[in-house]
Amino acid sequence: MKIWLLSDFDNRKHQTFRSLVYRFLSTSTDMKIEFFVKSRKSMWESLFAHLRDPRHNPMADIVEIPQNWTELFNRLGMLADLKPHLESLQKNLYPEPILAELCRHSRNNIYSVPWWQESPALFYRPQAIKTICKNPKDELASWNGFRKVLDTLAAHKKKIKYSRTLSVPGSSGAVSVTEVLPRVWGRRGGLFSEDFTRAAFTREETFGGIQDCLNLVLSGHVELFSQDRFENGFRPDEECAFVLSSRKITCSGRLMEMLPYPGCANGGGLLLVHNLAVSSSSPVQRDAAAFIAWLSEQRNAITFSEGFGVFPCLSAAFEEKLQRDRNADVYRHIFSAPELMPNIMAYPTAELLLERALWNLSLKIARGDYSKEDLTRELIMAQGEADYLLSLY
Amino acid sequence: MIMKEQTDIIFEEFSEQTEGGYASFIQSALKGVSSGFSLDSASFYEYDKKIRLLSLRVCHSGGLIYEHEENIKPETGSPVARALETMRPVRAVLPGGKYLYFPFSFDSNDNSGTVGRTGLIRLERNPRRRNFSSSESLKICAYLRSFLRFYYKAEYMALSGRYEKNIAAITELTEIFATALRVRDSFRKILAGVQVHFGFDRVRLYLIDEKNHKLKGELSVDIVGKIKSISYEEIPLEPGAHRFADIVLGQNSGVFMERYKDCVLYMPLAVQGVTIGLLIVDNLLSQQRIEPQELTMLKSFGGQIALAVDNIRLFDKVEELSLYDELTKLPLRRYFNTRFQEEFYRSERFKQPLSFIWIDVDYFKEINDTYGHEIGDVALREVGRIIMSNLRKIDFPCRYGGDEIVVLLPQATASEARRLAQRLHDEIDSLRIPVSFAKTKEMKLSISIGISTYPEDASSMEDMREKADDALYWVKSHGRGGIAMSSDVVAAKAKAAEEEKKRGA
Repeated sequence: MKIWLLSDFDNRKHQTFRSLVYRFLSTSTDMKIEFFVKSRKSMWESLFAHLRDPRHNPMADIVEIPQNWTELFNRLGMLADLKPHLESLQKNLYPEPILAELCRHSRNNIYSVPWWQESPALFYRPQAIKTICKNPKDELASWNGFRKVLDTLAAHKKKIKYSRTLSVPGSSGAVSVTEVLPRVWGRRGGLFSEDFTRAAFTREETFGGIQDCLNLVLSGHVELFSQDRFENGFRPDEECAFVLSSRKITCSGRLMEMLPYPGCANGGGLLLVHNLAVSSSSPVQRDAAAFIAWLSEQRNAITFSEGFGVFPCLSAAFEEKLQRDRNADVYRHIFSAPELMPNIMAYPTAELLLERALWNLSLKIARGDYSKEDLTRELIMAQGEADYLLSLY
Repeated sequence: MIMKEQTDIIFEEFSEQTEGGYASFIQSALKGVSSGFSLDSASFYEYDKKIRLLSLRVCHSGGLIYEHEENIKPETGSPVARALETMRPVRAVLPGGKYLYFPFSFDSNDNSGTVGRTGLIRLERNPRRRNFSSSESLKICAYLRSFLRFYYKAEYMALSGRYEKNIAAITELTEIFATALRVRDSFRKILAGVQVHFGFDRVRLYLIDEKNHKLKGELSVDIVGKIKSISYEEIPLEPGAHRFADIVLGQNSGVFMERYKDCVLYMPLAVQGVTIGLLIVDNLLSQQRIEPQELTMLKSFGGQIALAVDNIRLFDKVEELSLYDELTKLPLRRYFNTRFQEEFYRSERFKQPLSFIWIDVDYFKEINDTYGHEIGDVALREVGRIIMSNLRKIDFPCRYGGDEIVVLLPQATASEARRLAQRLHDEIDSLRIPVSFAKTKEMKLSISIGISTYPEDASSMEDMREKADDALYWVKSHGRGGIAMSSDVVAAKAKAAEEEKKRGA
């Protein structure tokens, strides 16, 4: 059985998964499992390559996908319905917001199983901001408040010992969709209108959300294409006053406190969910489903998610994990009214269009020839393409 | 020597996965160097000189191969920048670990030409482990160089695989284009062939309707091979009306088109310099680039596709001429007979009614003699138009000969057939044909109609025809301009015979 796993900036994800595979194989000796780690881009290309030429580009039996790819690849006939194989996997074991976006057109089928989830939050080092921010919970609740503290901190950089004011771990180097969407959501924006008839890239809320994130770069709080990680390894939390991350920060030494993502103080933040799906062309669908069912067991779901600081989707496992977390209250608040990216056919492509626009803008910023008109132009172009796409699919 | 053997083994492993190409080759190199030199990780980066960015392609760490997206701008004076500037390996001991940067640069070939590939392989040990000594670094670099030499073999194998696929595509597509004339659903075959062999997200065909000066949608095939008609799409062939029209007319459509160039190809189809349509292939859903070699190949097929499409249209035209009456645009008798047979069998099998309407234009010979054949032709054309505009999709009319027109009404009862006949009768009755040289300046038409229905009036095709003819004759012999049902005629005849009998008695 072959598995394609999505890559992660935190390599512990793959190591934890490997140990789980070993544990599973120790109980089912007749099965052979191989897994491959693919970047999001490479996963997307591999799935389309399979669709184009299945004989030369076989698809893995199990694939990990962002939940909102389910509708697209199901509509393209690539995902098996797991319902016949997963009777034990009752849907009521998952939170309703996740189920609502599982498969919009066929709520009775299971084309992908929710696996793990994450939601971005703000981590700060109390020591670093104690002189400029008396009440972090209130002052960092809004985006403007957060920006104000960041700017003040940057102005006093020499007095503090942290090399950077803000870190965004997991950044690919450029400003990316995963970085801007939480802010876009925080401003109640989105990529499409609520009825999904129009693209909304240039809507004030969406435009503003993207601009807010680019402004972090333009004002020097976030560094583009930084070489730091390349040569110094991954060690952001020890050196930063703030971290915007959807992962639990496990820092050794000085403590970091946690707050909801700025601008989402009332809950309703963006929830990123990752699912497991089985290929419709897999000859071992039953085995694949059995493995997914095993991974979804409470104990295994917790082991896996703990391995790299995320949360399991299974409600009971999520609760159990939360009870042990020192930031349980904040997490409970964040997950109280989560919002997922819509699971519609055109959405993953729309994200790619925005990703391309952000890449172009990042290059411009890095070259030092960016202006606000560039953002307007890129978003108008991307919106045009997304609208055209909506008319087709 | 040990190193050489190691490389050979890895290369053999690689050669088994010819489909993997470049990516598999790099993965094998990273695995080999990691295990051969006890590294904590080995990462393969490509360098884009134009934008000065190093992009991670694949990494081997902790016994796992993984891809990840990471883009880095080397800082001036840093060890990595030095390695890229001098194209010589550089060692570095930094807080994050101990590193050896191995830069590379080689030419790679694909159908679009030679592509220079530059980048570096980063080899890493964690801070607590030993440094890269200069002798070890030399060995590692020799190992990687020998591996990169194998890249040409790998590339050759990948190219050879692509060529084989292309040759198979050329053979199959050529056959499809050659046989396109003989098959009923030729456009479907051509589009499906292009979609299957090139694997585009979508292929669409638009044809020029010269008469109406429009570009009309014909068919669309999507990535899963689903074919649908796009005949609802009609684009005026005027500059600026639509970007498709601009392309067909040879005009630039601005910035939006430029943006699309990587994943959409607009291919005007031309035969002997005359544009007959537009083939559009796209990867809009997947947003994947149409590769230069696909583009070249598809362009080379453009002429054949255009020729095949044009042949199909000519064939359709010939077929239309042989099966349809040019004057009334109604099917001819030969075509009707086949269709009548099919519909009769269907009615028999599914026990459904079938009606037969026989129409005769009253005094048609006199019209021709009085006003001339030109006016007679206009009259027939108008009658044909009125009949066509009143029929359902499943009804089938035919110019049976001279001024006689028959209409087959599947699944229609006698009363339904009568209602239609009455409508035709009334519309034709109110029709006025302009005749400039006549005193009245116009001419009035009337028709006689006979109707028979299966199964109540007749049990065979011949019987249906006869009964409808009898009914028509009855109308004509009773003053013309009316409608008669076969059952009414039979009843009237029976009544007349009864009266005759009474009179005789």
